[in-house]
Amino acid sequence: MIDTKPETAPNEEPMIIARDVHKWFGNFHVLRGVTTSVELGNKVVIVGPSGSGKSTFIRTINRLEEHQRGDIIVDGTPLTQDVRNIDAIRRDVGMVFQQFNLFPHLSVLQNVTLAPVKVRKWKRSDADDVAMELLTRVGIPEQANKYPGELSGGQQQRVAIARALAMRPKIMLFDEPTSALDPEMIREVLDVMRDLAESGMTMIIVTHEIGFATEVADRILMFDEGVIIEDAPPAQFFNNPQQPRTQTFLSQILT
Amino acid sequence: MAADTQAGGRPPATPDIPPPRTETGAIGWAYANLFNSRHNAALTVLVGAVTAIGLWFCLKWIIFDADWSVIATIGGRFIIGNYNTDHACPGNNCFWRPQISLLMVTTLLGMGWGIAAGGTAKRVAIAATAIIILLAFLPYSLERMGWDVRLLLLANAPALALGWALGRYTPLGSVRWIIIFTVAGFLIHLLLMRGIEGVPALQPVAINQWGGLTLNLMLAAAGIGLSLPIGIALALGRRSRMPVVKLLCVAFIEVFRGVPLITLLFMSQVLVPLAFPEDFPLDNLFRAAVVITLFSSAYMAENIRGGLQALHRGQAEAARALGLPGWQTTMLISLPQAIRNVIPAIVGQFIGLFKDTSLVYIISMLDVLEIGRTFIQGNTEYLSHAKELFIFIALVFWVFTYGMSYISGKVEEHLGVGRR
Repeated sequence: MIDTKPETAPNEEPMIIARDVHKWFGNFHVLRGVTTSVELGNKVVIVGPSGSGKSTFIRTINRLEEHQRGDIIVDGTPLTQDVRNIDAIRRDVGMVFQQFNLFPHLSVLQNVTLAPVKVRKWKRSDADDVAMELLTRVGIPEQANKYPGELSGGQQQRVAIARALAMRPKIMLFDEPTSALDPEMIREVLDVMRDLAESGMTMIIVTHEIGFATEVADRILMFDEGVIIEDAPPAQFFNNPQQPRTQTFLSQILT
Repeated sequence: MAADTQAGGRPPATPDIPPPRTETGAIGWAYANLFNSRHNAALTVLVGAVTAIGLWFCLKWIIFDADWSVIATIGGRFIIGNYNTDHACPGNNCFWRPQISLLMVTTLLGMGWGIAAGGTAKRVAIAATAIIILLAFLPYSLERMGWDVRLLLLANAPALALGWALGRYTPLGSVRWIIIFTVAGFLIHLLLMRGIEGVPALQPVAINQWGGLTLNLMLAAAGIGLSLPIGIALALGRRSRMPVVKLLCVAFIEVFRGVPLITLLFMSQVLVPLAFPEDFPLDNLFRAAVVITLFSSAYMAENIRGGLQALHRGQAEAARALGLPGWQTTMLISLPQAIRNVIPAIVGQFIGLFKDTSLVYIISMLDVLEIGRTFIQGNTEYLSHAKELFIFIALVFWVFTYGMSYISGKVEEHLGVGRR
């Protein structure tokens, strides 16, 4: 394939393009032809019942799950078996997990600086500076030398966001970032994400936080049984959903 | 601490009340744990009485009835076996060679202390050196234990100080240099023990004359030093996605785990030579060391695999999502956590390996246990004091294994295993 992307205007293409993406776990057909795209700077929230494939879909974007049919193109780079492409995409795509997945044997600061030092080959002092800046941005610079196990869930998730941001990603993926948190900690994490959204980051967020979605999202995608059944701006999505299944889903989560 | 739990340093709504007296202090502890019910109180009294009676008989035997002279008679041979006898070293002037190795060990212990600046490394270094220094004052006649031997033992104190200074005040004070010096020191030790043809002060000593505790410790050191990296490689290989690598590792592990070590040691005399060129200078000891190391590696691999399997999948995923390549994910994320989680099993394996070094008696090497056993066999007047001898040897093994256990406990504490 010839790279026809013009050097002068790299932003005209969407950051993420998914075309007819299929994925099977054994015989189970999880993704049944997902087609969508995400523009630079857009915030897309994905909702849907559990088992609908929403988490699996965002995990295919950085190849934590391999799709078996269709195309995924991230910032102009197609996701194929080519390991160099996968590594290049992972460097530019940050991910935040439901279970935080901080490295328990490393301090908070080491968690944040690990990838910049080992993957981006930054000098340790530079990486430390950037890490402290990010920890300040997520509001916990004083925890830098503690270990993840000594932090609350909300603090851990904020460290996880700082860790992903330390790689200077172009896209951030959030896989149910607040689902494992106690109610009083959800807000501090959503505040950080809101702040990030205002900075213009391209974000894909799987979440059940409807208030947050209404406020931040440019578009909301509804997943059901492995396909996108609804794709609309928040106002239209919540006030005037087209699909009966969306209406049922909304009535279940809004009560 | 109580104030910390209150947001914003507000005083607690209800005042702190001191705990009931039965919860604190020695009396409180005894009350809560030993006499908290009628059954428990009866049991405490019964077990206490049995223990006291047992202890009384033990002490009586140790102090009044036992005759420990057999240990004094064997003396230095516990440590170096027949290394310095007329047969192995004509002129009996080889004793200083293992002592140089001992000096290297104390220097390394000193370096460890210098780096860690106190704590466990300090306690271990000082305890080991103190025991060595005490040996210099054993009440032997000067003919049996000369000034040269005693002075070389005393020299371990300045060696410790030198190591401490090196570790504390020079650029050599890093874990990397300690590892380099340990490996280099071990090779120098082997060269010293073996001797060099044509150098009068270093007349060669046949390897089958090496023995005593030195032999146990050498085999254990080589086995521990090599079985950990080999075990890690095997564990990773067993989890490899390449079927051939996986198959080879599984086969290796299952074969070496499935055959008794004694069988392997017998086989080593026949099979190990097949793996080397015909003129390769293979001796019994080398073959035994290879077999003991591989045997231990197979168990080590399974310990580490257990640690790897216990890790949450999210750890590797988070590392890969950050762009770390697979091998860095393994080396920086998976392995450190896996090893940390299975330290008790790994140290258990080290302890087992150290004890198993005694089995080299079956290829006619005289380890510390075999030195004692053959002595009794050759000097039947001591036959009635075999008890004292074997209790002493058991104690020697125990001191070392307890040391390992103590150090590993401290390492776990330091790494915060179970806390974070």
